Amino acid sequence: MRVVVDQDLCGTTGQCVLTLPGTFRQREPDGVAEVCVATVPQALHAAVRLAASQCPVAAIRVIESDAGNNERASTKPAPLPLAEAGRPAAEDQRNPGGPDGTV
Amino acid sequence: MDVQETTVACRDAFAELASPACIHDPYPFMRWLREHDPVHRAASGLFLLSRHADICWALKATGDAFRGPAPGELARYFPRAATSLSLKLLASTLAMKEPPTHTRLRRLISRDFTMLQIDNLRPSIARIVAARLDGMAPALERGEAVDLHQEFALALPMLVFAELFGMPQDDMFGFAAGIGAILEGLRPHASDPQLAAADEASATVQAYFGDLVERKRTDPRHDIVSTLVGAHDHDTDTLSDAELISMLWGMLLGGFATTAATIDHAILAMLAYPEQRHWLQGDAVGVEAFVEEVLRCDAPAMFSSIPRIAQRDIELGGVVIPKNADVRVLIAAGNRDPDAFADPDRFDPARFYGTSPGMSTEGKIMLSFGHGIHFCLGAQLARVQLAESLPRIQARFPTLALAEQPTREPSAFLRTFRALPVRLNAQAGG
Repeated sequence: MRVVVDQDLCGTTGQCVLTLPGTFRQREPDGVAEVCVATVPQALHAAVRLAASQCPVAAIRVIESDAGNNERASTKPAPLPLAEAGRPAAEDQRNPGGPDGTV
Repeated sequence: MDVQETTVACRDAFAELASPACIHDPYPFMRWLREHDPVHRAASGLFLLSRHADICWALKATGDAFRGPAPGELARYFPRAATSLSLKLLASTLAMKEPPTHTRLRRLISRDFTMLQIDNLRPSIARIVAARLDGMAPALERGEAVDLHQEFALALPMLVFAELFGMPQDDMFGFAAGIGAILEGLRPHASDPQLAAADEASATVQAYFGDLVERKRTDPRHDIVSTLVGAHDHDTDTLSDAELISMLWGMLLGGFATTAATIDHAILAMLAYPEQRHWLQGDAVGVEAFVEEVLRCDAPAMFSSIPRIAQRDIELGGVVIPKNADVRVLIAAGNRDPDAFADPDRFDPARFYGTSPGMSTEGKIMLSFGHGIHFCLGAQLARVQLAESLPRIQARFPTLALAEQPTREPSAFLRTFRALPVRLNAQAGG
């Protein structure tokens, strides 16, 4: 598993750093989060998924791929329905059905 | 006009929240609203969401479904902005900005609010806490009542802000009453006299910060104001003087009364649920769980103060929110939604034991700091102040008790206090 932070989107809230200080850190000049590990160890997979779902701006993307796979894995969309920015997918399974209804 | 009638239909939740019954205890009404009118349309046209899932979605959806008001729209959403300094300043704060301006400004200030920076403040926060408790001890030990709100809960964030801003402590204490007036004047449906009082206080704060900026320009120190002045002088496109001053004004508004109220609520929780005090006597994880549960049970800002404007017609729970409607979220109701937090009126720090801050063991978000791009800048600063305070209060004054019932501010928006008189009980069993 790999994890990436969309640094354009990052809201600098530091929530991921509080959740997993060994996996995420904040850049000193502007507080933007960055990932400090190349791959996420098995033991932290669940915690990283949780950190991604908790990110207030959904800037964290988890890339689920078998360890040792080639680079292409990184271009695949995340198989988990993690919330993308601004879409009502959200972290909550009990999301209200409504928000998708436009006009 | 009897009680029954309000339970059948609610014409205006904002007016109801201002009623004496709600000032005393807003949660029965919030529960009714969440169950019967979760996508409420107030008489003024504002919408108010009260279910946890809807609130989470709305806060996170900023940018797609919702946006902040554009600068040219200010008059539409704040009809009195043309004449009100407070509303003008509010419109320039970070909370009202949209990307990319929001991103640019937030990142300028974020360097002082990284988790590392806040952690570095811990020793000075602990020192301030210890000094304030030392100051209260003689009167308490003589058996006198002490107003814990003024002497501790409000004093702590003010002293921390004085240090962050590089301001003399007395200058900061001088702002206290004015900040309260500004907060009241800014809530929806504030009266004209309230707004006028807010404007008078805002003018004082604005003039003070204008002087402070000049002082930091000639004599920069290691503080937030100096950092921001430096960013401004390095590149005037980066941060205008008006942005800088409204940013400082906004930090005071966001950071003072809310932190104080949460400290007050934490003390009340310690006194009301002595069986839960063990959380404050063990490891840091237990203390953090206690703090999160206090924040969940009593959100200091009960609803969102900034407009979120529907970008299109949005259907939510069978109600159509029309395009351009101003949508607010009732954070305090979402925090007590049983669909997110089982048995929500029960005070139970176990919900947050060992979790990542702000998330329950069930993976539900505690909403008091908001969510989305406007997530509270000072969230961790507030948490550290609480975590450094509560175990010390517990250890230092284990027989603390209420001297009188606390006095609440009669505010529909902020669940805050005017006074919290405490004393020490005679020895246990006495």
